[in-house]
Amino acid sequence: METAICQSRGGVLHSHGEDDWGKARTSMSEMNADERATPHDAASVDPLELSHRRPEWSASQPMTRTQKGAAAGLMAALALALAFRPLATAQVLIAACTVFYVLLTLYKIVVIRASLSPDAILKFSEEEIAAQEPREWPVFSILVPMYKEPETVRQMVASLAAMDYPADRKDVQILLEADDEATLAAARSLELPPGFRVTEIPESFPRTKPKACNIGLALAKGEYLVIYDAEDLPEKDQLKKAVMAFEASPEKVVCVQSRLNYYNPRQNLLTRWFTAEYSAWFDLQLPGLAALNAVIPLGGTSNHFKTRVLQDLMGWDAYNVTEDCDLGVRLGRAGFATRMLETTTWEEACSVLPFWIKQRTRWQKGYIQTWFVHMREPVKLFRELGFVNFLHYHLLIGGVTFSALANPIFWLMALVWFVFRPEGVAQLFPGPVFAAGACCLFVGNFVFIYVSMLGCCKRKNDGLMWLALFTPVYWLLMSYSGWRAFIQFFRDPFVWEKTQHGLVKKV
Amino acid sequence: MVDGSRVTGERMEQDRRTYKVVRLLTGGVTPVVLAAGLLVYARWHDPSWEAAPQAAGICRELIAGTTEGRQALFGSCWSAPLPVLFYLPFAWLLPEPAAGWAAFFCAWLFVFWAVREAVKSTGQSGWRIVLAQAAIAAMMAVSGCPQALRAATALTAGLSLLAAAGLADWAAYRRLRDVVSTGSAGALLLLCGFPAFGPAALAVAALPLAACGHRETRSRAQAWLLLGGLPPVYAFGVWMLLNRLVLGDPLFFVRSLGHLVPDAGLFLAALALPALALLPALLAVWILDGRSEKPGAGAAGASAMLVALAVAWLATDAVLVSYRIGWCGVTLRVCALSVLMIALARLKQPLYRLALSFGLFVWMSVFWFREAAPDERSETGRGDLCREVESYVNARTPYGRVFVLGYAGLDLLRGCRSERLVANLDLHVGSLRRAYKGQNLYVLVPEPVGATRAESVFWRYPDIYTRGSERLLFARAFGNWHLFEVVTAPTQEQLDEWRRAR
Repeated sequence: METAICQSRGGVLHSHGEDDWGKARTSMSEMNADERATPHDAASVDPLELSHRRPEWSASQPMTRTQKGAAAGLMAALALALAFRPLATAQVLIAACTVFYVLLTLYKIVVIRASLSPDAILKFSEEEIAAQEPREWPVFSILVPMYKEPETVRQMVASLAAMDYPADRKDVQILLEADDEATLAAARSLELPPGFRVTEIPESFPRTKPKACNIGLALAKGEYLVIYDAEDLPEKDQLKKAVMAFEASPEKVVCVQSRLNYYNPRQNLLTRWFTAEYSAWFDLQLPGLAALNAVIPLGGTSNHFKTRVLQDLMGWDAYNVTEDCDLGVRLGRAGFATRMLETTTWEEACSVLPFWIKQRTRWQKGYIQTWFVHMREPVKLFRELGFVNFLHYHLLIGGVTFSALANPIFWLMALVWFVFRPEGVAQLFPGPVFAAGACCLFVGNFVFIYVSMLGCCKRKNDGLMWLALFTPVYWLLMSYSGWRAFIQFFRDPFVWEKTQHGLVKKV
Repeated sequence: MVDGSRVTGERMEQDRRTYKVVRLLTGGVTPVVLAAGLLVYARWHDPSWEAAPQAAGICRELIAGTTEGRQALFGSCWSAPLPVLFYLPFAWLLPEPAAGWAAFFCAWLFVFWAVREAVKSTGQSGWRIVLAQAAIAAMMAVSGCPQALRAATALTAGLSLLAAAGLADWAAYRRLRDVVSTGSAGALLLLCGFPAFGPAALAVAALPLAACGHRETRSRAQAWLLLGGLPPVYAFGVWMLLNRLVLGDPLFFVRSLGHLVPDAGLFLAALALPALALLPALLAVWILDGRSEKPGAGAAGASAMLVALAVAWLATDAVLVSYRIGWCGVTLRVCALSVLMIALARLKQPLYRLALSFGLFVWMSVFWFREAAPDERSETGRGDLCREVESYVNARTPYGRVFVLGYAGLDLLRGCRSERLVANLDLHVGSLRRAYKGQNLYVLVPEPVGATRAESVFWRYPDIYTRGSERLLFARAFGNWHLFEVVTAPTQEQLDEWRRAR
């Protein structure tokens, strides 16, 4: 039996049994909040607790030796097979890819169907919220990590202060890097409302958002906690809805994800496509996943947590550039659930292509990181997630990367075949594979485009529906970013290409 | 309080158990029993009955990887792709006739599942669903039409139910998922063939129209049209693309219409007339919508829409019959009557009254089906016919090749083991002569009755069956088939051999 000791929380010892996630579950029923001692300041917090105590759960090591060996072996086998039996090898590879595409398409249909059911998302009306009063709302911690964004501090403070939640029950931490003098100065120049404070993040490697959030998490006072980005405009009643959602849900629901969308959808073509994509993701796919009790890759912001559980799970992985996705998987592995909440946080869609590519590269790289981290012990992952969620994991996390990398190859082959009809291409697709491939081409692509349109319709962005028809062009950009991410994963796994904000005049 | 909550908890547990039983009954036991029952009945009633003769023939060619198979799959709106694609995995995995039985069973399972989906949204008891499923099965059994018991008919009926129910629920509740289900079902329905084009178009076109009665949904009519209309438009576009790729002509699959009717434009206008049947229902929906706060015409609007759709589909059948292309009448009637049954099942009425209504309906349907034009061109004794033709040809030449024309030919070839007889969908005598130089070529032409009239060979050679054509000399009749010899000048080797034989 493996044991480990948890420290710095009032000196209470926890032991890990065979079940590594038992600590978090045990603590929910056994721990008394008073027994925990909150650290005094950022300097006394270990923001890299996860990577120090559980390196096998952290992307601090992009690939393990076993994974590298397996990858090398696979490459070598592939090279040999291509050298000796090129046609057969190519046929097998293409058949395998086709099967995966077919599964992806069917999976998408199942998820979207589930999302259209009324129970896919938790809803609370204004009347229901008003009926709660008078009551004592729990303390809600809000973390706002910022870096080199002095121009957004004022607006961010104003929007959080305006949220419909008792001011004395809000615990807002503006997380600023110690060397970010401009933003620090901007924050200090403001008269911060009660409950707001600036937490200075000591300089250390890696300089990432999750590292800063881990410090904020350790210093959080609230029963619940949420992350917002600097430019976010959450709906005013979001915190109350989150509290009600937790109270109405079973105990194992430890995270509630709000929907994200953009307040600048019509700024240019890129933001239109981006908005269509986000609408499909947050209004259709994530609710569908929640309705199927699937592992949910969390959105970057507006995820509400039970603070204690998040602390016991050691927060976010500071080395993962999509720490939210990774956390979603860890929640699933620990036996916890995430639900979607009917409330929206409005963000700024990246409107400049080079910045968009950097942002998308980071997201894709994060998915690759997450996939490798959790596939270090695939048998254990299978046991912890169960068969269905194991499938969800690969189709979702793996599927995003696979389709971004493989799409251009298959599109090129399809184009060459349509135009020139060369013998070679036909040989690569024997009968049933050809039929399945044709299905993926004609049905699969249509399903993905249709889902985009459906997302726009659900969000009442009817004007964007026509543009969704041209989504395949947008997919080319995603594929470019995907390949960029794939290369970056091996060359610069920890580089965080920060998204530029403030490029729009907000409505 | 404790007792009250315990009673509530027990009731909830009971409701949960009841729900599971109902779900098992309507979604599992009843469909399986009814589908199996229909299969047994069909086999007992007519031992020569086949579930999908035409699809089986096309699948045979597809599995063999021939060009004719691909041409047959996409090349005709009267022998549409979806029933064939549905049949293909069964044909690939199982031998005949097991493949046909399995396809039939699955197709009717689909119909009964569609019945369940169409009725359950009203929240009515599970027994209504069971009654509706049983009534539809009874209607098929007493119809007396072999076509009613085909897998393709079942597929079309099931999709019609889904499209109609989607539209009805949209009229009643204005849920986004109803637009999606109507559009998706409409797209698949379109791929069931020409007779379903009109019904599919009607169901989809009614989506934005039905929403015009309420200000909230009226302003978004474009969104409903796009979401509902895009799937069928896309399906049609892909069909055109595949015709372009396989047959070189994007509209090849609908060209038969120009040859079957005297004036194609007038014919298409006539096909639009059944849409008028929707007007009263739309009016009812608009009035009900206008009176309510929230969008949605409720159960009354849904029923009106279902009845109107069924009437429109029967009217479509009447138009086709008037143009002497009513060979799909049975399919359209099955679809229309099934939709009417669903409309009945969705009404709030006592179970006994519903059962009586169904009984009356089933009895009346017998007369309706009797009126439907029997299109059947059933090939019995395929093997014997093939052997006869082969013997005839072998007696005259050792180098004979017989091209069996059309979709009817694909069906006939299922009984053939000979390599002398090959399928041919698009007769080009010159090309055949070049491709089979030195061989004695024959063409076996089916009688142009029913759906066979739509075969492409009769566009180019309208009188081929009775008079042959240039270079085609009548050889002999074999039942409904006429064998023609392709006349060519003999080669020197053939002349030498003939002289030696003399």
